[in-house]
Amino acid sequence: MSTLLEVRDLSTHFHTQDGVVKAVEHASYEVDRGEVIALVGESGCGKTVSALSIVRLIQDPPGKIVSGQVNFNGTDLLKLPRQAIRKVRGSQIAMIFQEPMTSLNPVLTIRRQMTEALEIHRGMKSQEALDEAIRLLERVGITEAERRVKDYPHKFSGGMRQRVMMAMAISCQPQLIIADEPTTAVDVTIQAQLLEMLHNITKDLDTAIILITHNLGIVARYARRVYVMYAGRIVETGSAEDVYHDPRHPYTVGLIASVPRLDEPRTARLVPIEGQPPDLIAPPLGCPFHPRCSRVQNQCKEGAYELIEVAPGHYTSCRIAGKD
Amino acid sequence: MDEMLVEIKNLKMYFPVTSGILLQRKTAEIKAVNDVSLDIVRGETLGLVGESGCGKTTLGKCILQLYRPTSGEILFEGNDLCRMPNKQLRPLRQKLQVIFQDPSDSLDPRFTASDIIGEPMKIHGVPKGRARRERIEELLDIVGLAPYMANRYPHEFSGGQRQRLGIARALALNPNFIVCDEPISALDVSIQAQIINLLEDLQAKFRVTYLFISHDLSVVRHISDRVAVMYLGKLVELADRDELYESPFHPYTQALLSAVPIPDPHVEAQRSVIVLKGEVPSPLNPPAGCVFHPRCFKVFEPCATTVPPLVEVAKGHRVACHLYSSDRPSS
Repeated sequence: MSTLLEVRDLSTHFHTQDGVVKAVEHASYEVDRGEVIALVGESGCGKTVSALSIVRLIQDPPGKIVSGQVNFNGTDLLKLPRQAIRKVRGSQIAMIFQEPMTSLNPVLTIRRQMTEALEIHRGMKSQEALDEAIRLLERVGITEAERRVKDYPHKFSGGMRQRVMMAMAISCQPQLIIADEPTTAVDVTIQAQLLEMLHNITKDLDTAIILITHNLGIVARYARRVYVMYAGRIVETGSAEDVYHDPRHPYTVGLIASVPRLDEPRTARLVPIEGQPPDLIAPPLGCPFHPRCSRVQNQCKEGAYELIEVAPGHYTSCRIAGKD
Repeated sequence: MDEMLVEIKNLKMYFPVTSGILLQRKTAEIKAVNDVSLDIVRGETLGLVGESGCGKTTLGKCILQLYRPTSGEILFEGNDLCRMPNKQLRPLRQKLQVIFQDPSDSLDPRFTASDIIGEPMKIHGVPKGRARRERIEELLDIVGLAPYMANRYPHEFSGGQRQRLGIARALALNPNFIVCDEPISALDVSIQAQIINLLEDLQAKFRVTYLFISHDLSVVRHISDRVAVMYLGKLVELADRDELYESPFHPYTQALLSAVPIPDPHVEAQRSVIVLKGEVPSPLNPPAGCVFHPRCFKVFEPCATTVPPLVEVAKGHRVACHLYSSDRPSS
């Protein structure tokens, strides 16, 4: 498989009144063609910002991509002129956001919102674009698509709106879809429907997905490779197998242990990660996880961040685990 | 025989839908809770699961009498709360408390931590003065907050700490029943386990009874003694925790459990998921017969016409599904 996207040493900062928020620090990841990777972590860990930085959807000010490269099909997206990046967004890289109500325009019909991209990126004429929009809506399981395409977003339920978002995302047959918590706002039975559908469609189109979520179960179901983020940094990465069955970073270990599992005997007590995630304006020196870590040693409190290879393709930033 | 703390009998909560400005006419009803009967045993945690709009929060609010139900009975320690005038209800409210989902919305931003925890005591007039201040400090300590935080405002706390504050407020009057309405949904994964452990500790210490409302089936399994499943205003299944998770009877419960992804790539690769068709219908116009029949993968004749009764299929295990009622087909 060939590499579709390569993010190298990406850092994105936000300049606020209280100081500089280092939302993403030196993040590197790769996506192969047709591959599903996952960025996992808790709120504020930088998973969304690192993905939005790829398509430069960071509001400036206050945000700024301060360093790094984003090679997509061999072009560095961070160096492209504004006009050129607009051609990439929507056509080659599409996005699905968490809240379909805030990402669909409430005063435009579904038709208007869907055909816009088709007309701009695929050069379709009005009628042709309408037919294609109806076909796409049918593809994502919206019944009576011909009638519903004229409706406004408020007439759709949450799950249906997310289907519309998915139809828009695949409308230009992108090579990469960034799915940012695509099912966090919907119920579990609808979540199963939506993810199954997205998985099947993208398999047919050979589209790669960056799946951003805090739900470890969804990651296990769909992702081949996993990047665990904490306090703006990637702290562990490897195949889903490696990360779930042989987690090395104490944060990953803690995250997996703190979630009760339906397929295992019920445990008497959950094992939480004590403490709070750090403040990103003044993150702890050394390993950002050290104030909450049970295996902390003096060397964790200083020194630079780097990923250590513990097995082929399996990396962790933990120096203690890296030496095991 | 276990002692019943709350007995809910044929509870209905309908919300009117009106049209017109001057002459408001009732045009329809939303049947948020439709004929639910349920008992809660003293000292247990009853998990209540279901998807958004299934009526689980409404049921919780009915028990608390934050909604006055349309019909039915709610007996709390033998007293019917629904027939009680507000004045009589007030002293009872001390015993019925609630923890809400979003700790940022449910705490007044202009109150300090000690105002928030002290308010229930102020309203009910117990205890006063120095005793109250001591009680506030004690409560902060119980939920794992430091005494020096008493003068902080909600925005100075993290999400998990705010939820601890909400829990301290619920405990202030020594309640014996707490409705926990999605208490961990707004929290990060690593913090959720902290709050669940705290709730379990408090139950062991103060012998409170919980109604734990959640859509997270893994967490409900962890914390509950018994679990009730609701769908579109109806109770569809009720059983002991292990019984429900090991042998779910109702097709909806089966689908719900299979839809929960398991955080293990090996297990996920071998699992088959029951993907339900369609969406939850509107409670404005629920389907006839069994409310689940349009989405059910085991639907047969009587489902579209007859409402299935809640029948006991094993000891303490009740299901509302025609597959298990006496008139099922011989196949």
